[in-house]
Amino acid sequence: MSAELEHGELVSLEQSRDPLWFKRAVFYEVLIRGFADSNGDGTGDIKGLTSKLDYLQWLGVDCVWLLPIYESPLRDGGYDISDFMKVLPEFGDLGDFVQLVDEAHKRGMRIIADLVMNHSSDQHPWFQASRADPDGPYGDYYVWSDTDEPYADARIIFVDTETSNWTWDPVREQFFWHRFFSHQPDLNYDNPDVQTQMIEVLKFWLDMGIDGFRLDAVPYLFEREGTNGENLPETHEFLRRVRKEVDELYPDRVMLCEANQWPQDVVEYFGDPESGDECQMAFHFPLMPRLFMAVRRESRYPISEILANTPAIPKSCQWGIFLRNHDELTLEMVTDDERDYMYAEYAKDPRMKSNVGIARRLAPLLENSRDQIELFTGLLLSLPGSPVLYYGDEIGMGDNIYLGDRDGVRTPMQWSADRNAGFSTADPQKLYLPTILDPVYGYQAINVEAQMRSSSSLLNWTRNLLAMRREHPVFGMGSYDELTTSNPSVLAFVREFGDDRVLCVNNLSRFPQPVELDLQSFEGRVPVEMTGHVRFPRIGELPYLLSLPGHGFLWFSLDPEDGL
Amino acid sequence: MIAPDDLTTLLAAWLPKQRWYGGKGRPVASVEVVRTHRLITQDDGAVDLLLLRVTPEGGEPDLYQALVGERSGSLPERLLHASIGTSGETSLYDAVYDHDAADVLLQRLGTGGEHDGLSFHNAAPVEQGLPNRVMSAEQSNTSLVFGDACILKLFRRVQAGANPDVEVTTALSEAGSPYVARPLGWFDTDVDGQRTTLGLLQVFLKGSSEGWAMATASVRDLFAEADLHADEVGGDFAAESERLGSATADVHRLLAETLPTAVEGATEAAATARQLHARLDAALEVAPQLEPYAAALRAAYDELAARTQQVAVQRIHGDYHLGQVLRTQDGWVLLDFEGEPARPLAERTALMSPLRDVAGMLRSFDYAARHLLAERHGDAQLAYRATEWAERNRQAFCDGYARTAGADPRDEAVLLRAFELDKAVYEVVYEARNRPSWLPIPVGSIERLAAAPGSQQ
Repeated sequence: MSAELEHGELVSLEQSRDPLWFKRAVFYEVLIRGFADSNGDGTGDIKGLTSKLDYLQWLGVDCVWLLPIYESPLRDGGYDISDFMKVLPEFGDLGDFVQLVDEAHKRGMRIIADLVMNHSSDQHPWFQASRADPDGPYGDYYVWSDTDEPYADARIIFVDTETSNWTWDPVREQFFWHRFFSHQPDLNYDNPDVQTQMIEVLKFWLDMGIDGFRLDAVPYLFEREGTNGENLPETHEFLRRVRKEVDELYPDRVMLCEANQWPQDVVEYFGDPESGDECQMAFHFPLMPRLFMAVRRESRYPISEILANTPAIPKSCQWGIFLRNHDELTLEMVTDDERDYMYAEYAKDPRMKSNVGIARRLAPLLENSRDQIELFTGLLLSLPGSPVLYYGDEIGMGDNIYLGDRDGVRTPMQWSADRNAGFSTADPQKLYLPTILDPVYGYQAINVEAQMRSSSSLLNWTRNLLAMRREHPVFGMGSYDELTTSNPSVLAFVREFGDDRVLCVNNLSRFPQPVELDLQSFEGRVPVEMTGHVRFPRIGELPYLLSLPGHGFLWFSLDPEDGL
Repeated sequence: MIAPDDLTTLLAAWLPKQRWYGGKGRPVASVEVVRTHRLITQDDGAVDLLLLRVTPEGGEPDLYQALVGERSGSLPERLLHASIGTSGETSLYDAVYDHDAADVLLQRLGTGGEHDGLSFHNAAPVEQGLPNRVMSAEQSNTSLVFGDACILKLFRRVQAGANPDVEVTTALSEAGSPYVARPLGWFDTDVDGQRTTLGLLQVFLKGSSEGWAMATASVRDLFAEADLHADEVGGDFAAESERLGSATADVHRLLAETLPTAVEGATEAAATARQLHARLDAALEVAPQLEPYAAALRAAYDELAARTQQVAVQRIHGDYHLGQVLRTQDGWVLLDFEGEPARPLAERTALMSPLRDVAGMLRSFDYAARHLLAERHGDAQLAYRATEWAERNRQAFCDGYARTAGADPRDEAVLLRAFELDKAVYEVVYEARNRPSWLPIPVGSIERLAAAPGSQQ
C-alpha cells in the first residue's frame, strides 16, 4: 500500500487504479430486470442501466453491483447459469455489457457482478456432455457417484424442496451431487480442469473490464468424507489461487465472498490475517437485523454487542454492510448457538420476526417514518464497512407483499409519474412485475423525477449524506471506537483515520435524549457539525453534553481548535 | 500552609454540599482531621489524603475520606469548579479533580507497597499514563476513570475494617466469574487497629450503562404506546431481565462455593422475624403512612417466624438493585458488593439468604415501573401499564434465576414476601425523609403485597 493510498484521497478512475477503492466505495445493488427497460419489452436491460448511469453518478454511487447477468434457464433467479460467458439475451449482449462498463468507468464508477462458483445449471453444455459421455473431456466436471451414500454429513440446504444432496441421472445412470437445487449440479473442483476453466471464466469478464465479483456459494466448493463439506481447507487454497491469479493481471479488482455466516467464521474468507490473501470483502450479515432491533428496543446493545464481537480483519479487507438487499435473509441465518440471544429476543416479538424477513423494503419496514429512514441511512453510512444501497430505497420506494417473498421488493424502479413509472414504454400488462400503485408508495407519489426537484426530498437528503461521506475517507478507512455513555439509548462512536476524526452520535429512541460523552482524549478540539459546518463548543475536560431529538443523529468532524 | 482551624472550618462548610456526605442536610457540628497522608509535595502546594471525623449536629460522628489540595495563590482555571475555599493566600480544592494526584494513586496501585501509612496492593498489571476524570452522577462514593482501562472507587464514608467489596469482588473474579469487574488493586490504612479499605481499582467496563437507565428507557417506551401491552412493544425488557436473573443466580452460586455458608433453622428464622418487626417499629415512628398495613406486615413476618424449614445462608450482595448492575457489551455485570453503606460492617458481611438480593431486585423493578408515575398522579391507565411492566420483568428475572439456580425463588414465597416487604418498609422511611412525592411507590407496593396473603402468585 503506497503512502498516497494511506492518505485516502479520492481519486478518479482515470487517474489511478487504487487497489483499495472498495474500502471507500458506496455500493448500489441493481436488479437489471427492474431498473430501466431500453427496448420496451417490459423487462429491464443492460442498455437501460447504462442510460441511468448519470443518475447514479449524480446520487454519489461508486460501484454498481449486479445480480447474475448470464445465460440461464432462470429456474433460480439466474443463479442457475447455463453459459458462464454469455449474457442473458433478455438483458442484452456482451457488447452492451462492455459499453456499460466503459460508460461507468468514464464516470468514475465501477461495476461488479454476482458469479456462482459452486455449480451450474443442468442445462450447461458441460453437464450435458458430462452425463452423456463419462469418459469424455467433461466426464469428470461434476461430482458423480454410483450410490447416494457419500458425504452423508453435508446438510441439505433447501430442506423444503430437496430430500437429498444426490440426484439420480437416468442418462449417465449415476447420482450427481448438488448442495442446492437438483437442477444445479455442483462442479467438481477436485478436477484441475474445472479449476482452470472457472478461473478462465473470471478472466473473461475481467478482460471485459468488470471490476470484481461477488462469488456465490463459495463455502461449498469441495466435498470431503466425514466433513460437513463447508469451509474446507481445499476451498481456501483454491480462493488463494484465484486471488493470486487475478491480482497478477488485474491489480485493482475486488472479490466479495458470499457466505451467510457469523463474522467469526466469515473472516476465514479474508485469508491470512496480515496480508488478506483471499476475498477482499464479505457481507456482515448479523449487523442488519441488529440495527432494527436496537431501534425497536431503544437500546444500543444489540449493535454494540455484535460489533464488539466482530473480529479484526486484514487491513486490506472490508465488510460490506446493508439495510436491505434482494436476498432472503432469514433469522436462522443470523442465529447460531447460545452465544447469541437474537432468536430468543425475536421469538418474544412476532412483529420483529416477520419484519426482518425479505418481504419488505426499508420505507414500509419503518412505517414510512422519515426520521427513522434517515437514522438508519446515517448508521449505514457511518458504521465500519462499505455500505450497499438497494435500488429504490433512496427514494423510499414501497413493496408489494402480494407478489410473494422475493418479488415483492423487485418491482420496477420508479423514475417518474409517467406510464409504468418511467421504467418502460411497454404495455403495463407486459411488465415483468407490476409497478407499485398504492396511494402512499405508488409511482405517482414516489419517483426520482419529483424528488430531484424537491430540495427536501429523501433523495436529495440521501445524496447530501453520500456527498458528506465522500469528503471523509475515515468512514471507509478509519478505526471504530464506541464511546461510553450513560444513556443506553444513545450510540456514540468515533471514527479515526490519520488526521480525520469523525464523531457520530445516534439517538435510537423515539424520544429526545440527553447524552454526556467522555471526549477527554479530544480535549481542545472543536466539533463541527457536518451538514451545516456549525461549530459547537470546544471540548474541555468535563463530559460533553449533547441533546438529540427522537431518532436524531449528529455527525461532527473533530477539528483542531485553530482550524476553520 | 493553611492553619488547621481554617482547614476544618472550610471543610465543615464544604462537606454538606457533597453528594456523598451522609448527614443529609444536617449542618456539620465539627470536623476533626484524624489522619493526613501526603500524596504530592510541590513548590506551590501539596495534595493530602485526609481521614476526617465529621460530627453532624445532633448526630453520631462518621469517618470520611477526602483528597484535599492546597495551592498558594489562586487556583488554575480548570480547578476552579473544585474549589473548597481560600484562607489568606492559600486556596483549597477537592483534589479528586487533580490529575496529578490521581496519577500518584494509580502509580502506587500499579507497584504496590507502603507510602506514608497507606498500604497499596497490586493484583494485576495496571496501565499507566492514561488521562483521568471523575465519574459524574455517583452517590455514596467517588470514582476516577483512567482512559478506558480502569476505574478507582474511593470509599467516602469509611468504616473500620476491610470493605466487603474488595473481598467479594476478588473472590468472584478469581473464581472466573464473568459477572464482576476484575479488581486490579486496592489500598488501605490502619483505623482503630483494623486494616480499612480506602479505594478499589477495577477494570473499566467500556460501553456499559446502568440497569436503571435501561429499564426506565423500556418503561418510557411502554408508556408512549396507546394500545400495545408490555410483551408487544419494541422496548420490551424481559429478555434483559431474564439474563440478569441468570447472572444473579450464577454469582450467588459462586459466592456460596468460594466464601462461607451456613444453614439456619427455626431459631434463626424467629430471630430474623424479630429483626423485621423491630425495623417496622422504627419505621412506623418516621412514617405513619405505614399504619394501615402494620397488621398485614406483622402477619407476614410471623409467617416467617413460624417457619421450621432450614434455610441456606451465604454472603450476598446486600444492596441489590438496578443501579448496581451494568449492561456491558457482553452482558450484565454486578457492582458494589459492599452492602448498604449505612449499616454497620458486621451486618453487611453477615451470612444471609440470597433471596434478600432477589427481593431487592424485584423491588427495583417496581420502582423502575412506577417512578414516572410520581409526577403523573392518578393516571389509571399508566398505573395499569406500570403494573404490567413490573410484573412481566419481575417474572422474567425469576425465570432467569430459576433457570441457572435450578430452584425457583418464587417457591420460597414466605421468605421472599417477608424480605420484599422489609425492603419496601425501608424505602418508605427513605422516601418519607428524602422524597415525599415518591412515597406512594413503596406504600402502593406494600398495599399490593399485603393484600396477597401467604404467597404472591
